[in-house]
Amino acid sequence: MAPDQWNAVALDSQIRASSSNPVIVNDYALALWRSASGEVNAWEDRCPHRGMRLSLGFVEGEKLRCIYHGWGYGPDGQCKVIPAHPDLTPPKTICAQRHAVESRYGLIWTNLAEDPHARLPDLGADDGWEAVRSIFLNYAVQDARKAVMDDLVGWNGALSDGDVVTLELPDGTTLAAAFQPVDAGSTGVHFVARGPAVSAEGRHGLARQVVQLRARIENN
Amino acid sequence: MKITLYDYSLSGSCYKVRLMLGFLGLEYERRQVDFYPGRQHKTPGFLAINPLGQLPVLEDNGLVLRDAQAILCHLANKYDGDGTWLPRDPASFGPVMMWLMFAGGELMAASSARLHDVMSYDLDIEAARKSARSAFRVLDDHLTHREIDGGTWIMGDHPTVADLACFPYVALSGDGGIGHEEYPAIRNWLREFRKLPGFHAMSGISEYV
Amino acid sequence: MTATTDPVARNEWIAAGWLGQIAPGASHDTMILGQPIRITRTGEDSYRISEIGEDGSEGRELPIQTRYTCIFTTLGDPTRPLPEIHEFDEADRVVVGCGNVGVNTSPYRLVENFLDMAHFSFIHVDTLGATDKTEVLAYRTEHRKDVDEIWAVDCTFFQPAASKAVKGGQMTRYLYRVMSPFSVMLYKNISEDSDRNDAICVFIQPLTETRCLAYMPMAIVDNENTAADIADFQQSIFLQDRVILENQRPALLPLDPTYELPTRADASSIAFRRWLKAMDIRFGIYEKQAA
Ligand SMILES: N[C@@H](CCC(=O)N[C@@H](CS)C(=O)NCC(=O)O)C(=O)O
Ligand code: FES
Ligand SMILES: [Fe+2]
Repeated sequence: MAPDQWNAVALDSQIRASSSNPVIVNDYALALWRSASGEVNAWEDRCPHRGMRLSLGFVEGEKLRCIYHGWGYGPDGQCKVIPAHPDLTPPKTICAQRHAVESRYGLIWTNLAEDPHARLPDLGADDGWEAVRSIFLNYAVQDARKAVMDDLVGWNGALSDGDVVTLELPDGTTLAAAFQPVDAGSTGVHFVARGPAVSAEGRHGLARQVVQLRARIENN
Repeated sequence: MKITLYDYSLSGSCYKVRLMLGFLGLEYERRQVDFYPGRQHKTPGFLAINPLGQLPVLEDNGLVLRDAQAILCHLANKYDGDGTWLPRDPASFGPVMMWLMFAGGELMAASSARLHDVMSYDLDIEAARKSARSAFRVLDDHLTHREIDGGTWIMGDHPTVADLACFPYVALSGDGGIGHEEYPAIRNWLREFRKLPGFHAMSGISEYV
Repeated sequence: MTATTDPVARNEWIAAGWLGQIAPGASHDTMILGQPIRITRTGEDSYRISEIGEDGSEGRELPIQTRYTCIFTTLGDPTRPLPEIHEFDEADRVVVGCGNVGVNTSPYRLVENFLDMAHFSFIHVDTLGATDKTEVLAYRTEHRKDVDEIWAVDCTFFQPAASKAVKGGQMTRYLYRVMSPFSVMLYKNISEDSDRNDAICVFIQPLTETRCLAYMPMAIVDNENTAADIADFQQSIFLQDRVILENQRPALLPLDPTYELPTRADASSIAFRRWLKAMDIRFGIYEKQAA
């Protein structure tokens, strides 16, 4: 049973409209897809028909189509289209496995629990968050978190620990790092920022600093 | 004018040239080379055409060219009137060349991984995947900065030979066991490339975007 | 993995190499069903196959048959002979081998993909399928008890370019034949006026439960295209399928009919799974973990 826990899995801005994306959380493969109108969905990355990964599928309007035989699924997970039998109304039993998903603070969050009650981490204001960038580290999540914390200590700013690690920069910008446990040897870290430094120029600078952080961690 | 391409359908390097010919709307004749399992590219007959024993080779009115990157530049230089595929302005030319060399250099590790997994080439697969991943990361880092500027392409506001040359082996990397989970900017760039007018897929890349 | 103990899998003939792969006098190390083996080409047309032990030395010698451009062997006592495919004996056909292609999945995913028509319009666009003609018409499946094979008959599908030789779209008629858990073939009627079918086989060498090599010998009626052209066409088709095969989850085949949900178009897959279940094969099968 999956724990009742929210994990950031991507930067909101990098999951484009009409796209399906492969994402792995705690060894579990998700298809993270966004419809043409902008709704985000996190589904098991397995088509109910013959097991094809839905992250390799394509989005048509508000439907996710599987690439193998083109079955089309609506946002409720129900199969609506079976191209091999154009006149057939697909039985209700054909339904993709959906998971809880939220967009907040410039991040996309998923919770794999069957009946999630946990709350999203609280980062204060909802608005104004902008993507900095994501990095992937070859560590388990607790080691990745420690390595990121240890590096951020050396930055000029006030660091605080939590589900999400935040750093208050001297100019009043908040840099936040949210962690995606991928598997025993890999963790995604998604950085977003809020405040004066979120101009394009400021984000270039922060993104470059995050790349340097990654290089320092990997050289240790 | 007569263009002949020595071609093998499953070759990502030949695909670079087929894409360019397609985007430029050029007619050409195809000479099928039995790369696998025949290894025809290593036979004396083919070595007389390309002593390196590699595909692709392009013949254009008596000019015989090897190396996909060189061929792309030749085609763009000769046939792309607007110069969009091969920008000549001093601010763009250098970066485009830089990424073009990257496509024929570091990125080819992804081709090695694919040859290992598909055609049982005897090589160090872990080393190949590791090198390919380092190269992918360099490209993803670059494209991440392009996204911050609202840009889509490797250089400038339209695709160039740099995008074209990088596309095949990044798009085909799953064939060599290298997924795109860790490269969100690459995923977005690949999808935009596949939507270009005149784009056509090859085996391993979906026609549906 | 270590060699499978599954007697059902061990008692099948398995392709382990293609003729021409190994130079005379040379040998080639490979694996079947988790068992490392060495194939030595002892003469122009003669081979020896032995198991390789933990210490790297050659052990027990295994039976050999060379047919259909392939080298076959077995770890057990085959209960069924190699299939008879007389098309390969017709002198005027082009026989093409295509080497082998590595695929990271279980052998049965390969068989099912080969039996499947519903993917043509999505995976083989403009050759074996058209995007606007996706319907799979009803067909029949049979378990031919005399030879213990699964057949699918009366299959038809609209194809824009059914083979290297065909120009223009047509309704192609197919016959499918599963000869063993690791071998499958089809007969494909590529021209309206002829009843000489193209014969295309897939022989699968399971290295382990989730790693295979696929051999695709074909006996084709075509007096226009070269063997290399025909091989290129077939390899292009197969690499379109390969992406699918490597991305099905799980890689092992689930036999529980509620775990993956079929429709009418999957009748051949349903018959195949039933047949596998009845023969009680364990190698490469997904045993769903108890909840
Ligand atoms: N530098 C060449 C390399 C192309 C290449 O690697 N071609 C492969 C086929 S995809 C090949 O011919 N390999 C045979 C060899 O390198 O020996 C180019 O970019 O065109
Ligand atoms: S596996 Fe998804 S439609 Fe068939
Ligand atoms: Fe197929």
